[in-house]
Amino acid sequence: MNATLYMPIPAVIERIEDETPDIKTFTIRPVEPIPFAAGQFVELAVPGIGEAPFTPSSSPKISEFMEITIMRTGRVTDWLHSMKEGDELGVRGPMGRAYPIEDFQGREILVVGGGCGVGPLRSLLLALIDDLDAYARIIVRYGAKTPDSIVFRDAQMHGWDQGGALDVMLTVDTAGDNWDGHVGMITDILTEDHLDCHASDGIAVMCGPPVMMKFGTDKLLERGYRPENIYLSMERNMSCGIGQCGHCRLGCFYVCKDGPVFSYDEIQADPRLWDD
Amino acid sequence: MKWTISVSSSLDEVLNFLAENREIYALEKAANGHYRLAQTATWQPEHHTLGDFRQTEPLKALFFPAREFIGRWKDPTIREPMLERIVFGVKNCDLSSLGIFDHVFLNGVCPDPYYAESRKKTILVSTDCNDQLDVCFCPAVGEQPYATDGYDINIASTPAGYVFEDGTERGEQLLSTARQYLEPAGPELLETLKKQRKRRYQELVEHSMAHGVKPGTDWRNAIESSFESGLWKDFAEDCVECGACNFICCTCHCFLLADGYDADDTPARSKLWDACLYSNFAATAGGGNPRPLRAERLRNRFDKKFSFFPQVLDRYACDGCGRCTEACIANIDIRDVLRRAVDECDALHAHSSGHRAD
Repeated sequence: MNATLYMPIPAVIERIEDETPDIKTFTIRPVEPIPFAAGQFVELAVPGIGEAPFTPSSSPKISEFMEITIMRTGRVTDWLHSMKEGDELGVRGPMGRAYPIEDFQGREILVVGGGCGVGPLRSLLLALIDDLDAYARIIVRYGAKTPDSIVFRDAQMHGWDQGGALDVMLTVDTAGDNWDGHVGMITDILTEDHLDCHASDGIAVMCGPPVMMKFGTDKLLERGYRPENIYLSMERNMSCGIGQCGHCRLGCFYVCKDGPVFSYDEIQADPRLWDD
Repeated sequence: MKWTISVSSSLDEVLNFLAENREIYALEKAANGHYRLAQTATWQPEHHTLGDFRQTEPLKALFFPAREFIGRWKDPTIREPMLERIVFGVKNCDLSSLGIFDHVFLNGVCPDPYYAESRKKTILVSTDCNDQLDVCFCPAVGEQPYATDGYDINIASTPAGYVFEDGTERGEQLLSTARQYLEPAGPELLETLKKQRKRRYQELVEHSMAHGVKPGTDWRNAIESSFESGLWKDFAEDCVECGACNFICCTCHCFLLADGYDADDTPARSKLWDACLYSNFAATAGGGNPRPLRAERLRNRFDKKFSFFPQVLDRYACDGCGRCTEACIANIDIRDVLRRAVDECDALHAHSSGHRAD
């Protein structure tokens, strides 16, 4: 008799990579493989300190280890950022509803990311790239505050566009000296000038800060994307991860078990949707 | 099958028999005239009672303790199995509240084995309410002052005698072993009980109406329609967000997984009651908070009880026990909030009808 549903299993931190000054990618190896689907999340625990939800950024094809991209932004993430390779932490999961990528087959897929929200999207992209021919086209639009805060820069430059097979475009809110890309908000590169898409039957997947998702969704609707084809990764205080503790309620849903991935039509009626 | 106590036996004999070899919980009368639930080695007639109305603390604490030890980091030690226990004097409001807990902890994506064990090992002996507290309003939320299901055994006390009824197979078996103390309840006794229940229900209906909460009211519509109303801000002016309403509530199930260290410095985890009235309840890392205002958190509590649960479970997460009213140090009466929501909803409706008439 135990309550493993609330207790994490141990995992070793194998690698820590700095992405930006306040974002690191941790490669962890749990004592038992954790098979997950892109969009699902895990609870990472610093034993004795606390626990927080994160969506893996690595390929869902690999279950022996996972990469998790974490911004330093609170008590648990402060601790995580102070940990070293070889340290142990706890992990519970996977939890929640994944991206329905079986429904994406044959469709054009627009992936829109903002800031650290690109972590979960990387996991999705790796799954899509793995079976590139199954999709009509894959488009990536990614916004960061500054060139320094772009996550997965190397992947951006050398991996994500798959030698031109993917249509990738980045923007930064504020440019530095060594930036020759687009400068502006994410919504600026979702316009006709920068995004050639089949909105009426295309799939759009978005993850980022709530304010970016709000305006991003408005822009996608304006471009003609259908509410049921816009998938959002919602952020709430997901604690137990199994729909019991009550913290992450969003209308008639719990984000942890009914989400975190929702289609916009499922949640658009909620008057508190964009409250963060 | 319905039974009564045979002439040669007594209630105390029956209860002691039922309690044999079990952990016992029974009601004690406190100095203020209210009841409290206490653990006891034996049923003692001079200390214990079946109670005329519900006890002060919610029954949920027996299944969902305020602080429950979950486990230690990398420690596979398993918890000792629970002893079988019997609870005497459970009232219908508390019995009904277990439906919420079963939904959350048994029927979700991942059942809680501790909760499942505690439910399985607990025999619930309910009793009819022969009186009420001023804060009671169960008929207004579709309940009544006697149990209709969820009990193993129900004991109704009437001036003509006790009526024992089994509600589960376990209850039936238990009563069949107590046959030496029981005899079938006769039609006159059952008729007396029927009339008594009808009268008690009517009394509770009148009591609820006197406090402005009418049975049959569509509370879901009232709460949903008053989402933008100023009523939340008005009540929040008095609320001190102590969370007492959450903790004392017989249906509030929210909890926190709290990490810390055991006496020997091993990381350990506990499950603690949490309160949605607390400002950081829904806060996310980085400073986000979907409900930064107290009025929003107060509204959330009603939204959860009267909109969320009707949507996911087709019932209110309120059984009209009135404990929140009793516990509120700001004297916020849940009936006043519900009545105001209805008033505002009616006013809104009248206003929009008026516009149509124009």
